[in-house]
Amino acid sequence: MKHKTLIAAVAVIATLPFISCSKSKSSSKITIALLPKSKGNQYFVTCEKGARAAAHELNAELKFDGPINSDPAKQNEIVENWITDGVDVIAAACENKDSISTALKKAQAAGIKVVTYDADANTDARSFFVNQATAQGIGEQLMDTAARLTGEEGEFAIITGTLTASNLNEWIKYIKERNAAKYPNMKLVDIKPCDDQKDKAQQEATNLLSAYPNLKAIIGVCSPAVPGTAEAVKQAGKAGAVKVLGLGLPSENKAYVKEGVTQAVILWNVEQLGYLSVMAGAAVAKGELVAGAKEFNAGKLGKIEVVGDNIVLGKPFVFTKENIDQFDF
Amino acid sequence: MPSSRSISLKLLLARHEVVLVLVILVEVVLFQLLGRNFLVGRNVSNVFRHSVEIGLLAVAMTPVILTGGIDLSVGSMMGLCAVLFGMMVNRLGMDPWFASLAVVGIGALGGGFNAVLITRLNLPPLIVTLGTFSLFRGLAEALTRGAESYSGFPPSFLALGNSDFAGIPAQVWIFIGVAVGIWLLVHRTTLGRSFRAIGFAPEGARYAGIPVARNTSIAYMIAGAVAGIAAVILVARLGEARANAGIGYELLAITAVVLGGVSIFGGSGTLAGTLLGWVALAILNNGLTRISDYRILEQPVASVARELSGLLTGLLLLTALSLGALTKTLAVRRARKQSLSDTSPNLVKS
Repeated sequence: MKHKTLIAAVAVIATLPFISCSKSKSSSKITIALLPKSKGNQYFVTCEKGARAAAHELNAELKFDGPINSDPAKQNEIVENWITDGVDVIAAACENKDSISTALKKAQAAGIKVVTYDADANTDARSFFVNQATAQGIGEQLMDTAARLTGEEGEFAIITGTLTASNLNEWIKYIKERNAAKYPNMKLVDIKPCDDQKDKAQQEATNLLSAYPNLKAIIGVCSPAVPGTAEAVKQAGKAGAVKVLGLGLPSENKAYVKEGVTQAVILWNVEQLGYLSVMAGAAVAKGELVAGAKEFNAGKLGKIEVVGDNIVLGKPFVFTKENIDQFDF
Repeated sequence: MPSSRSISLKLLLARHEVVLVLVILVEVVLFQLLGRNFLVGRNVSNVFRHSVEIGLLAVAMTPVILTGGIDLSVGSMMGLCAVLFGMMVNRLGMDPWFASLAVVGIGALGGGFNAVLITRLNLPPLIVTLGTFSLFRGLAEALTRGAESYSGFPPSFLALGNSDFAGIPAQVWIFIGVAVGIWLLVHRTTLGRSFRAIGFAPEGARYAGIPVARNTSIAYMIAGAVAGIAAVILVARLGEARANAGIGYELLAITAVVLGGVSIFGGSGTLAGTLLGWVALAILNNGLTRISDYRILEQPVASVARELSGLLTGLLLLTALSLGALTKTLAVRRARKQSLSDTSPNLVKS
């Protein structure tokens, strides 16, 4: 059997020359590590695209790694491995807020600058949170878009997830405020919950269409509501007459947008979120962005506002028939 | 001759462990050559810190598999214990160390539940623990409505998962304690010997006067209790208790045990084998994270070599088992040639 072991060992060693990997690390280049919630998710793959562009502009090295299964310990282990590697900056989208904070604090103790994006950690575990959108930004963008689509007049309704979801209620609050302040000729007639289910949203939308024959628009504030509403409007033969808009992924709504049933899908520009996260991390590492700053220079995005310890990406992006093909998340 | 057969079998087993030591050496050399910061103190600590939970499950799984059983429920038991631990500390204000003891006891009870169904109703262990695999995880999810989690544990408790004691991660000391305990049990007590006897021939063991049901139950209860320990350590490391703790860990533990040369049919295997199997897997998983921009023949294969860990774990397991089976077949053939007069077809176990 000795021969077998020997042959196996020789075989392994023989493959060595064919395997190569970059070992050297130039000390002048800063290394930025971007942690997604999960690696295969198209949303984060799109983030990475923006992050790569930023790293390229900054001449920085980018590491992108994240969990590929649902093991909650994986994010922590990846962060700890980055600590071993001595990266300069970690930008993390946090799956489990409290557990990832344990690892991020260790990174800070090791002198690594930490920022978060997409989903925040505990505030003492990072210096800044790159916030993709504020509740106010989302609410106002939804209302402004609805007003633009309906010519600023007529009845509209909202389909929400559940009546108790605090983030959704926050957005609805800003929709109402914007409505009162800027669009006096528009009237919110009803708010219906869809329990975050597309079927239920379709049913509720059908009910709304028959209850309010003069309805001009339906806004979906949770992502299943938008395609659900679109299906109801399409089946009622009111495509175009009743405008459909709301929050959601472009990919989920692409078909309805192209058919002209859904007019606008609203979401932050995910690629820019990745870009801004890397820019913010690099600025913190270089000392250009410190606590108390009011704004910082984020490359091609220009000056970006800093509110407290939140770096805000800006107004959410509106996906329409014209631009939706450029996005694949 | 029975005695010479048993000697050659022992040599075979010894050889399997030697093969694993070689595998580990090859891994260490490869990762040191190809990877960055592999053999540095911090990373060596991480290899063990990150795999102690799976190591604990593997060590406790060994007696179960020796009896010819299997326990698929240990990962789910970790989830349940983590949630119960979090509730006891956060909601009831219990001392974390006392809560730790309590969940270890709950783990043992869960193992006992498996054991009752297996030994009293004679249901197959695979089916019973497949049931409790869903049951325990489901209970954890129901208790937290799938969303709630517990955190804010005192720093003295979190130190168990994140600090060093005498230069070694704190939780590794607990692992050493558990491993030594189970090694003594399996290899130095009559109870431990009976595990192998039960796995080799349950009827024979019964006729030999071994309390099969009782001893089998002990193996499952140990597995459950150790799953409780693993849950406490995981919570201390992450600082958060959630229903998804330990997802998939049972299969990784079984992989380590089988890689360690323990027969999945029961009856043969050693704890040393399990430990080596576990170390080989732990090094593989960590070492791959040390390599980036992985290329074969100049073709980029993966941005981070960790993406290959599943592939390589599978290859490692199948290669090791195939080699084992091949050497066994060859040894049997050679033995037949050497002693054509030997007519006894049975292997006699020590």
